[in-house]
Amino acid sequence: MTHALIRTALPLLAATLVAGRAAAQQTDPRLERLDAATRPTVAALIDSARTALLPTEPLVQRALEGATKRAAGDVIVAAVRRLAVDLGHARDALGSTASPAELSAGAAALRAGAAQTTLTELRQARRGLLVVPLAVLADLVASGVPVDSAAAAVLALAGRARDADLIEFRRAVERDIALGAPPAAATAAAVTAADVFVNAGARQQRPGRP
Amino acid sequence: MFDPVDDVIDRIARHLRRPVQIDPALDGRVMREITALPTPGGATALGKAWRWLRRPRQLTLTPLGGLAVAAAIAVVVLLARMNFRSPAPPQAESRAFQFVLVAPRATRISLVGDFNDWDATRTPMLRAGSEALWTVVVPLTPGRYHYAFLVDGSRWLADPSAPVARDDDYGAPSSVLTVGRGGDS
Repeated sequence: MTHALIRTALPLLAATLVAGRAAAQQTDPRLERLDAATRPTVAALIDSARTALLPTEPLVQRALEGATKRAAGDVIVAAVRRLAVDLGHARDALGSTASPAELSAGAAALRAGAAQTTLTELRQARRGLLVVPLAVLADLVASGVPVDSAAAAVLALAGRARDADLIEFRRAVERDIALGAPPAAATAAAVTAADVFVNAGARQQRPGRP
Repeated sequence: MFDPVDDVIDRIARHLRRPVQIDPALDGRVMREITALPTPGGATALGKAWRWLRRPRQLTLTPLGGLAVAAAIAVVVLLARMNFRSPAPPQAESRAFQFVLVAPRATRISLVGDFNDWDATRTPMLRAGSEALWTVVVPLTPGRYHYAFLVDGSRWLADPSAPVARDDDYGAPSSVLTVGRGGDS
């Protein structure tokens, strides 16, 4: 009985382990666009991210961007690894309930220089999705606004402003910078204007009195 | 001295010490009676199914059979993992975005980005009206997208009307498009 069990169970167990390992190593077919030397490393990074319950699609896209732009393999690996680290930090700051889009935008904001505490404060200040506030924060820094000014501005608006208001705010800052205003001053002016606009919107939404 | 109590005890002991003859067919009759007894749970189909499920069985499998079972498990796992791409967002959330580039001397332009796997063949731009204006419309769901224009298959251009991607790792310029709820960008 015991021998029969061993004779049956061992091959089954071994085959299952082999098959499971093969399945685990199944890579995204889109990664075929990477060269043979780079692909396993990128696939391993993506598997690690999946194991850590991080979104993997941004990592795949970052690798594909590198392949299309014909970047060197080590550059692609470094970019994917760095994004994975940023996604992990973004999740630490935004919480485990953050959506993949929020984590992606959060990673961009961190990459721009925002502090993790800023992301956490944004989470506390605003209900709903944080994709747009985080993206606006990253875009402002990319436009030359000092990261502290950008963070303070977005935090000041995030509690009440709609996504459309935040995007309009970013456009106003970029417009003023293009016209020659110093980035920090352009941000401060746009915050004031946007704040007035948001408050006016809030008043309009109050129920009327008889 | 005569003791009537001892006499009774002796007789009972002798009686109990006599060998007892048991019918050899007794075991068979007992087991038949047990089998004929109604089982708890009744004779309903559910009861039969429940008894069938609980009855221990010994499975015998050859190594080849084991491999076949393992292969079947692997196929199931692989099919499950084939769905590793992000699920397609609901169509109701997507909004159409028009990308425009002025490039008078270009012969072909592709829009490439996070929304089309950076595949230069997937979203070619078309001339619109004037010879210099190239355009394409792409449906996008809320999120933050990196993209760029690939001109004549070799030259990368960022979108002059969009923020530059600061988190660009590859040197070639890229732009960022943020799509909020309601399609704002």
